[in-house]
Amino acid sequence: MTKQTTLPQDMRCVVLIGIDFDGPSHEVGRGIAPLGKHSWGNYSARCGVPRHMEMLARHGVDATFFVPGYDAERHPQTIEAIDRNGFEVAAHGYLHEAWELDAEEEATLLRKTDRILTEVTGKPVLGWRSPSGRKSDRTMAVLKRLGYIYDSSDKDYDRPYRLRFGDGADDVIIELPNNTYSLDDFPFYKFSYTPPSEVLAQWKSEFDAIYGVDRFFVMSLHPRAGWGSGTPARTRILSDLITYMKSHDGVHFMQSRAFAKWCQAHADNLEEVRFA
Amino acid sequence: MKTYTWPQGARTVALLTVNFDAESFDLKEASAERLFGRYSYGRYGARAGYARLFDLLARHDIPATFFVPGADARRHPALIRDLAGQGHEIAARGVALENFATLGDKEADVLQASRDILADVSGKAPLGFRAPGGELSPRTLGHLAQLGFIYDASFQDADHPYVHGLEGGRTVVELPSSFALDDAPVYSARHTHARLQAIWRDEIQAMHAEGTLIPLTLHLRGDFGSTRAARIAVLDTLLTELKGLGGVRFMTCAQLAEHTLALNLAPQPDPYQAHAQTLANTLYRGELAVKPL
Repeated sequence: MTKQTTLPQDMRCVVLIGIDFDGPSHEVGRGIAPLGKHSWGNYSARCGVPRHMEMLARHGVDATFFVPGYDAERHPQTIEAIDRNGFEVAAHGYLHEAWELDAEEEATLLRKTDRILTEVTGKPVLGWRSPSGRKSDRTMAVLKRLGYIYDSSDKDYDRPYRLRFGDGADDVIIELPNNTYSLDDFPFYKFSYTPPSEVLAQWKSEFDAIYGVDRFFVMSLHPRAGWGSGTPARTRILSDLITYMKSHDGVHFMQSRAFAKWCQAHADNLEEVRFA
Repeated sequence: MKTYTWPQGARTVALLTVNFDAESFDLKEASAERLFGRYSYGRYGARAGYARLFDLLARHDIPATFFVPGADARRHPALIRDLAGQGHEIAARGVALENFATLGDKEADVLQASRDILADVSGKAPLGFRAPGGELSPRTLGHLAQLGFIYDASFQDADHPYVHGLEGGRTVVELPSSFALDDAPVYSARHTHARLQAIWRDEIQAMHAEGTLIPLTLHLRGDFGSTRAARIAVLDTLLTELKGLGGVRFMTCAQLAEHTLALNLAPQPDPYQAHAQTLANTLYRGELAVKPL
């Protein structure tokens, strides 16, 4: 019987703030010009990312920006600023591919985005979050060959774990599962039109339920306008949420890569699973 | 690049914009002889909603900008003249709520026709445009500049007005709006007016605190618009609160566009050109999009 992942007593909760850049790639990848109401992605580089970085810096907390390669090509200065300000830059597709890719096309795009992000920041990329959450049983091997140490796309668990994808000693990657139904902004702002102050209450109660129990709080946020959190009111409630979480003992705000390294170094704490 | 500054003495500027969208909206679904029953919500706007909104604006002494489809202006010339006479701005929205992304070669003619109709009805050529459905083609901004429009109010990608730099050195001011301060998405999803009030209160307070543009978008219609009695009451409350925040200047879109031009901002690159090549090689996969309204 495999044991369940267990975080040490003093790690009452690990908080991974993940911000999916989602610039114009989101529309352009679908063949839609980023004009008029389709222009929300331009808000990311222009307003949302600077606002989020300023807010996070004010709190002194770490975060990870998952960036589509196409957006990095068009906004290299913004991506450089993310890195320079001490945040992590990780991969998030090339054109925010929100459709099924065959294995070869997927591998090509993973390599392409890796090259773009590495060139912009001058640092290796260590993690990936699937745009739209699609991945296959072959994706992890490609990431591993690119030197990635974690994936943050699966939705199947409350805690981090070691995802085994082959028989070799190295055929394992750290999985940091996320939740795009209730710890993501777009369901509330796109589907249920929940007022920001109610979204704050929702996320506080999510945190209350996770703190000291599963101890792993992963957010998937978007700095764009429209259904994202880039705008003033929505960034404000993120700030209020961080204030709330900081008022608890033993809360660790980490970059995903830093926590993935911790997981690698504490393999005995992590459950290891294999599904394919 | 110069940073954006508001007119002297203003902490922020609020734009109250109204998409007139009366019968021309229903006519996209039904023929003229069938504008009854479920296709009469547009007529509600003109018959019942208009007066209520007109009075609210007068009571609050707020100048608004009405984006009026040309065909609706022809149908309701007296309403348009009253608005103009009261100091509200009349701006363009096509003739019959055309989708500008797919009009092709007819685009310039439709814009010209809408401009001529509004000039004829209101006595003044419109200076601004808001694309029906928020849909523009790569050529729309260029046509606007050529026809003498000074601003567009269709994008949703900035906290402050900015200037589009177009081919041939032409420019068009952009007055960006916000999905979060538009009544149509909320009411189309059949949410309550109390919910709209809660959303708008949060959004407005935070925008005011940061001193960003506060762009309100209303519709005149009886279905997803804001002119039902209870919804007007919500607006009344929100406008009272907004004014109470302090330092809020209400302007028409044309006034804000003129102010923006006077700032001599560096133009932003054409919003299409950076993506033209990629789009030429990309399949339309719109059916998979998280669709905006």
